[in-house]
Amino acid sequence: MNGLLKTFLHFARNRGAVVGVVVLLLIIACAVLAPQIFPQSPWRMVGRPMMQPDFGGRFILGTDVVGRDIAAAVFHGGRASLLVGLVATAASLLIGVPMGALAGYFGGWVDDVLMRLTEFFQTIPAFALAIVIVAILQPSIVTIIVAIAVVSWPPVARLVRGEVLSLRSREYVQAAIVIGQSPLRILFTQILPNVIAPLIIMGSLMVGSSILLESALSFLNLGDPNMMSWGYLIGAGRTRLLDGWWISFFPGIAIFLTVLALNLVGEGLNDFFNPRLRERGER
Amino acid sequence: MFRSTLKSLACGVLLPLTICTAAQAQQPSSGGTLQLVVTPEPPGIVTGLVTNTPSQMVGGNIFESLLRFDQSLKPMPALAESWVIDAQETTYTFTLRQGVKWHDGKDFSADDVVFSLNTFLPQVNPRWRNIMKAHVQSIEKTSANTIVIKLQHIFDPLLLMFENGSMPMVPKHIYDGTDFAKNPMNNTPVGTGPMKFKEWVAGSHIELVRNPDYYIKGLPRLDRAIFRFIPDAASRAIAFETGQVDVMTGGSLESADVQRLSKTKGVCVSTAGWELFAPLSYFQLNVRSGPLANKTFRKGLMYALDRELIRDVVWSGFGEIADGPISSRTRFHPEKAEPSYDYNPEQARKLIQQSGYKGETLNYLVAPYGEIWSRTAEIAKQLFSDVGVNINLITTDAAGWNQRARAGEYDITNNWPYQYGDPALGVSRMWVSSSINVGSPFSNTGGYSNPEVDKLFERGATASAAERPVIFKQIHNMLADELPALWSVDIQFPTLYRCKVHDFVTTASGANDGLLNAWIEK
Amino acid sequence: MATVRFVLIRLLKGAAVLLAIAALNFFLIRAAPGDPASVLAGEAGASDPIYLEQLRQRFGLDRPVIEQLAIYMKNIATLDFGFSARNNRPVLDMIMERLPATLLLTGAAFVMSLIMGVVLGVLAAVKVGRISDTLITLFALIFYATPLFWVALMGQVVFALKLGWLPNIGYVTVGADLTGLAYVTDVALHLVLPAMTLALFYMALYARIMRASTLEVSGADFIKTARAKGLPEGYITRRHVARNAILPVVTLAGLQAGQIVGGAVLIETIFAWPGIGRLMFDALTQRDYQVLLGVFFCSSALVVLFNIITDVVYRIADPRIQMKA
Repeated sequence: MNGLLKTFLHFARNRGAVVGVVVLLLIIACAVLAPQIFPQSPWRMVGRPMMQPDFGGRFILGTDVVGRDIAAAVFHGGRASLLVGLVATAASLLIGVPMGALAGYFGGWVDDVLMRLTEFFQTIPAFALAIVIVAILQPSIVTIIVAIAVVSWPPVARLVRGEVLSLRSREYVQAAIVIGQSPLRILFTQILPNVIAPLIIMGSLMVGSSILLESALSFLNLGDPNMMSWGYLIGAGRTRLLDGWWISFFPGIAIFLTVLALNLVGEGLNDFFNPRLRERGER
Repeated sequence: MFRSTLKSLACGVLLPLTICTAAQAQQPSSGGTLQLVVTPEPPGIVTGLVTNTPSQMVGGNIFESLLRFDQSLKPMPALAESWVIDAQETTYTFTLRQGVKWHDGKDFSADDVVFSLNTFLPQVNPRWRNIMKAHVQSIEKTSANTIVIKLQHIFDPLLLMFENGSMPMVPKHIYDGTDFAKNPMNNTPVGTGPMKFKEWVAGSHIELVRNPDYYIKGLPRLDRAIFRFIPDAASRAIAFETGQVDVMTGGSLESADVQRLSKTKGVCVSTAGWELFAPLSYFQLNVRSGPLANKTFRKGLMYALDRELIRDVVWSGFGEIADGPISSRTRFHPEKAEPSYDYNPEQARKLIQQSGYKGETLNYLVAPYGEIWSRTAEIAKQLFSDVGVNINLITTDAAGWNQRARAGEYDITNNWPYQYGDPALGVSRMWVSSSINVGSPFSNTGGYSNPEVDKLFERGATASAAERPVIFKQIHNMLADELPALWSVDIQFPTLYRCKVHDFVTTASGANDGLLNAWIEK
Repeated sequence: MATVRFVLIRLLKGAAVLLAIAALNFFLIRAAPGDPASVLAGEAGASDPIYLEQLRQRFGLDRPVIEQLAIYMKNIATLDFGFSARNNRPVLDMIMERLPATLLLTGAAFVMSLIMGVVLGVLAAVKVGRISDTLITLFALIFYATPLFWVALMGQVVFALKLGWLPNIGYVTVGADLTGLAYVTDVALHLVLPAMTLALFYMALYARIMRASTLEVSGADFIKTARAKGLPEGYITRRHVARNAILPVVTLAGLQAGQIVGGAVLIETIFAWPGIGRLMFDALTQRDYQVLLGVFFCSSALVVLFNIITDVVYRIADPRIQMKA
């Protein structure tokens, strides 16, 4: 109990991280409770079109081009966006980390083959590849997640490979090899723990970039038309930026807060895990 | 006195009427550069070879056809100075203008017209090819500047074909004997029109300059015209507001922006210039199988549609409610359709239940051509689900939509084909059986087949001018009853321009002839 | 010498990879529904089976796929990018006239973002835990977290519409026919908004990675030694910390540079910048296979090149790294 408290307090030294955690939990809560707070489908046209935000009235965040409640849309939209962000990022990491680790550790032809494969996925511009995949498979929440995962894993693999390459030649790793530890054991116990820091940051950024990538796909009319996401909402309102700023603004704020929170948490975790920083902090 | 007599003689005989009325209203000034927007960037600007809207908007100022049309669809002289139709209505004699030069200096003559009509256009233009086969007997030159077209039978809409968007006269000395589509001159086109091609900077703009040898003295009035390509709708609106462009036409403009921008000082709006094309939008239905094969079900859907809501919210109030396949701007549009439908969800629910609908999900293919169609789809989905019909929205990009639409891989989609002034030219191709599976999304992709309608359209094409209104009224009402599509909004595409730009929209082809009469107030 | 050998072998392998990639791209693109013939037919507004067949012939689609692939591969091997039947022009011409504009845009953005990001990252790391750290992080985050097209449009609204300081679209004032210094200034003015929008986005990425990496290195033993020796903090930061901390940034920069061709699609769309990103997107929606494959090939070549450069920089920066070519 004492250990847990101490751990939490150490994490809480970074105030930004605490703010991040709180905001993130709030956003998740809003998304989860959306059907309770706004029981009607957000697609329903419930008011006059283009009503301005009215914080005391019925439509707190206003209505959109066809008269939908923006507050309901933003709350419900969080479900789709968070789903896309989390699942796509998890998939990217699941593919990228093993690829990069194996390539960096074993080198030789393993490195060659894996890196050529990574290169293939990188040579087509990521955005274009995402569009092609979504165009081939027809836009839906599943295909969008697949597309985002496919274009997002190469940077993970290359980062991990770079870090593993660098760490592999360190003295303590050489020592482990000499005493005969198995490669997998070395990877898991010696090398990967040191790769976690940049990975966490990358992961938190990736959830954000996945949500942004989804919004860009919606911008080009390739979003899932049956599922309301923040990206979809921004896309629906972007041609009215000049006379209906609130339509894109509030979902934009939602994306912004989510990505911000994720990054703050990532930062906090990084500072938390960094043993050297821990030492410096306790000076 | 002599001068004014000369002027009134000139007006109506040699010059299009619209110029004259304008000239009498305000003295036009010469010179200046007009900046316009065209989107997307056209694949080519030889209007015979490429017939999409951006190509026509640019190329229409370079190329001309035999005729132009005023806003009540009355034919006016272009390259043809005058024409005579014989009593049997099967022989058309065109007298061509003299002294016309191509942009490269060579003389225009009847040889070019014969080549264009007999060789070039049948090869590249499917509509003309089919009309030649079905209705035309021969096209010959009978003197250096006379053409005679002999028809197999009466074909009343013939004159309406001669517009510069799809039937330009092209130079024989450049195209004869070559592969038309691959001819290198396609990238630096040579026509007879008021503007000459100057430069095409890919991704940026096309520049046209005045044709100093144009056969109408005093025209064109502009020195240069620049067509900018701006892919994003919001950027286009901002470009107009900051004064970088002066004219935006339908297709490059969201209706919402029109409402906002038209309130600015010095900005004018025109809804004219679409009389020849008259796009009428509808929800095209795949009636081959499933619930949509049942007429009662289709009627139910029709009552479920609040078309005024769509017109007011999605089109920002522009356009009229369509009650049948023929647009109000096209010839022989009946005053009112019988039957007609109002928004009645109760009736809708009743009919849908009556039809035996069991809750099958219908696939609605959303047209990928802008916000308007996305919002239309969403609203329609809501309205239909309110009466118990399940809709699944499918989005693709333009190529995907083309593919699916022409293969009939949808239950519902939106379409708004051009009507070309006469139901025999633009409307029939959507509803006749012979137009099923022809490989174009602008055909009978829904698989509607009704032998009675087929026969009526056939008669309507070749009937005399007196009989045609009756026939088309019958067709209009029949299709309003049968509902192979849910008739929606008769589209008005507003043209937005700075008020100091005058006479941009003066014909039924609107922007396609825009630079002919346009002038900028100093 | 070992480095030269390394580079040569990698170039050879790169060429082989490029050919394989070209072949795979060929099939990938054809998996999307529709083809260039049907797209043109759709745009024509009227069509019949003859018209469609003519179009298919024009695009070479009437031949069996294997034959189309063979023709394409043979052309690629001789760097012949073929002909765009839709635009009636050689693909190489179309690419070459649009590539410079993109290189200018993404190059400027890349340099700006790298410099700003590295500086801000090191600054934040040096002042870790303090207000300036938080502020810098927040500033970087704001531009990363906001959708790119929203920032771009807001930039247009504020700087072009409301203030009138900058032009909102294009790369030059069309119709003004400027030359010499006036031309350069005109292009520079048009470059500001799009390049800055793009730069702000990537800057956040670099700042974050640089900060994390700097923190990582600052705690290392050899740094402690340097400090114990009494060397000034600034010297340590510049000479020792930055040089080592920059490795993950090099990786990312290499990746980013490789995305030069396609990464600017959104920006080029919003600012009507006549670049290759927009060409690629249009070719994609028009299913213009030849142009699309040409652009993808150029992009592939750039990525392979930058991966090699990145690996070489790695070897130079950290001699402990041994890599077989």
